[in-house]
Amino acid sequence: MKLALPLILVGVTVGLMAFGLAANRRAGGTVGVAEGAALPGLTPKSSTPEQGLTNLLSAVRRHSWDQAFSIVSKSSGIDEPSFIQGWIGSNGSLRSFSNLESFDSRPLHITNDEAYFRVRLRWTTPVGPVDDVRDFRLLRNGETWEVVWPKTQVSNVPAQVIPVTYLRWDLVTGSAKDEWGSQNVDAPRVRIISMNAVDTAEGAVVMGEVVNEDTIPAFINVNATLLDAKGNAIDDENSFDKIAHILLPKQVTPYRIDFPNFSLKNVQNVRMNVKAALVPASADPVIGVMNQKVASDAQGESILQGDLFNESGQTVNIPHVIASFYDSNGKVIWVSDGYVDRALLPQSSEPFAVQIPQAVAAKVQNFHVVVNQYSLDRS
Amino acid sequence: MTRQARCASHAFFALFSLAAFLCCGSLPGRAGDSTLSVQLDTSRAGPRVVESLTRQRILRDYRFAWRSLSEAVEFNTLNPLNGPFVGDAKRWLSETVTSQQKSGISQRYTHQSHELGAVFYAPEGDVIELHDTARYELEIFDAGKAVDSQPIVVHYVVLMTPGSDRWVIRQLQAVPQF
Amino acid sequence: MRRILVWMAVCVIQALSGGIVLAQDLHAPASVTAGDEMTISTPATGNATFYLVGPGISRRSSITGGETIRLRPDDLRNAGRYMVLLCSGTCQSTAFYVNAATPGSLTFLVHPSRVPVSQPDAISGVALPFDQFHNLVLTPVAVDFHLTSSKALVLSQPASTRNGVAWFRATSGKSAGMLEVTAMLGDLSVRRVVQQVASDPCNLSITGQQVRGGFLVRTVPVRDCAGDAVPDGTIVSFTATGANGKSTVDAPLKHGIAQAQIAASGDTVISVASGVVMGNELHLRNQP
Repeated sequence: MKLALPLILVGVTVGLMAFGLAANRRAGGTVGVAEGAALPGLTPKSSTPEQGLTNLLSAVRRHSWDQAFSIVSKSSGIDEPSFIQGWIGSNGSLRSFSNLESFDSRPLHITNDEAYFRVRLRWTTPVGPVDDVRDFRLLRNGETWEVVWPKTQVSNVPAQVIPVTYLRWDLVTGSAKDEWGSQNVDAPRVRIISMNAVDTAEGAVVMGEVVNEDTIPAFINVNATLLDAKGNAIDDENSFDKIAHILLPKQVTPYRIDFPNFSLKNVQNVRMNVKAALVPASADPVIGVMNQKVASDAQGESILQGDLFNESGQTVNIPHVIASFYDSNGKVIWVSDGYVDRALLPQSSEPFAVQIPQAVAAKVQNFHVVVNQYSLDRS
Repeated sequence: MTRQARCASHAFFALFSLAAFLCCGSLPGRAGDSTLSVQLDTSRAGPRVVESLTRQRILRDYRFAWRSLSEAVEFNTLNPLNGPFVGDAKRWLSETVTSQQKSGISQRYTHQSHELGAVFYAPEGDVIELHDTARYELEIFDAGKAVDSQPIVVHYVVLMTPGSDRWVIRQLQAVPQF
Repeated sequence: MRRILVWMAVCVIQALSGGIVLAQDLHAPASVTAGDEMTISTPATGNATFYLVGPGISRRSSITGGETIRLRPDDLRNAGRYMVLLCSGTCQSTAFYVNAATPGSLTFLVHPSRVPVSQPDAISGVALPFDQFHNLVLTPVAVDFHLTSSKALVLSQPASTRNGVAWFRATSGKSAGMLEVTAMLGDLSVRRVVQQVASDPCNLSITGQQVRGGFLVRTVPVRDCAGDAVPDGTIVSFTATGANGKSTVDAPLKHGIAQAQIAASGDTVISVASGVVMGNELHLRNQP
């Protein structure tokens, strides 16, 4: 009698585990869609290309690197540490702080010995969920399928000393007691130079550009309030991370403020407010944005792609690209942003791409890219 | 009980009730004053013109400041003074409250009406001077017992400066006339 | 029984209406200067309670009738309206005002802390005189405003306070540098510093030369239209448009010059901008 309850609990637990495993197996049988899920020690054999891909990505999700690497084809010519680093990132990049949450795959081309899949990887990151689309190639090796892993090109930057001679601004707070009028350092002068409000499927969007007209750096944030015909506020939002917050003198940044599930049809006016504060800042690193062009990605969606080149000697851990798109009249018609999940090493470049909504792509005549960045050892 | 004794007890009860009613009417309540009107005329302000939004904010923040002041001196608490007052205005109001805490005195401002006129608005908008003709009923209490009550008219010179999220009163100085 | 009731009624009525009427008035001056002492005479009517309620003070004391109450300078340091109450059964009250004393300090607000050169009415200042007790001095006083640059007097503007405020407005100087702004009232003097900086870049111009993999583009020394050097750290944006697409580099000025290396091949058009100011364009060809 004493053992009845523990035995019942153990029995129910085992039963639920078996049920869960069986349910997942049935789900994995759906053609064209594979979701990651497998219990340790119970991984099914990679007898089909779908199963091989699922096994690899599930192992990556669990950080079971030995198991994941065992599914990589020897013909890849890659070693395990390089394979692992390709997944977990390095140099304090955004990938270093991310986790693979889930994945969706669909087959592109399957033969008896070779298969191609397009996989959407969903990452949870400190800056929110990030989707990454990659193509995977699998080869049959006997009874199992293995993933061919591409060799990652690592830029070979020679050792060198790069002097840092760019200007740096420090902020000194006054030591005198707070006498009215004695703290005579004004906030930086910034100005909104354009504003455009549009309706989208997700809601209303207010976007434009801001310039720092002052001679010192500014930390800025742009707020917008939607007003109805009577002047009452309907909603209030700010630019969040769709803006380069630190603006150096005479620097221009786009901004975008989203009002989810709101429509402009009840909006009579938009009140803009830009707040600027004094901050310490550095003019280093300088990041060039090279070879920018509008193209189509693997799924046929319009993107703006290019390369970021770090002209300084400091690693940029998390580059953030913000792009403004203009029509033929020079009006800002969209602002997109995206994070690069690899660190930008000194004197090296990394590719980037940001999406352009289909509704806007046809009207884009020009674009401008600004790079925001976060460096771990920046004081 | 005899008929005479019954009459006496009824009369005593009636007189006691009348006295109690009149006494209770003079005890300080804790309801707070709900009538506080503020009007602002900015037509004479200069050199800078007072913006419409600024005018609305000043009205709102001045009204809130006087509500806070009334609460502070009625209940002898310093907390309401944090926020609407800075600088010398906060200092003398805090000294008033502290002094009242020691002496057992409290004040109540009721039926307040403030007619504000802006007489100076700095070119950069960082200070505004207002003249307030304030009318209110001032009651003074000693250990909860009313000692005086009278309607008064006071002229205040007010300096307000923009804070992080509101306009604050930096100087609140009563004068015999403007 | 009837007698008892009548007696009780009289007692209640007397208690409600007050029994003793003060025959003489409470005397206080109509106004006094902050920091001065004053006396208040009280009627000779027996023991009473004296109250003083004013800005920063709230006092209660027991006095004997006819006593002269002395208020110390420290009691009357805050300008404003004071109320005096004398209660003995009933209460009498009177009010008086404390006015500000002579100016002992000057609050001086100057804006902005940084200003482009040659901007009309760009600099403004507001001066408010206070006495030693931090009361606003409302009687008109003369305030002089001086603007000095490189130890030379640029502007001297006398003013008189009105409602306790004096102010001025001035155009910023023609050359970059520190501008001292001083407000003087008698022996009181307060100094503020305004940094005059170059205006927007003028005649922004670039030169370029071919280097391996692209072009090295450099500005001439960047100055505003008055000839002042634009401060280092100001961002200059280089844009190159060619066969590979568009490339941009935001480079800061160093020693008055900005430069950037841009990857490009073939025919390339390179332009430059700083803030909302555009510069010239270069048409270059990257020879292999």
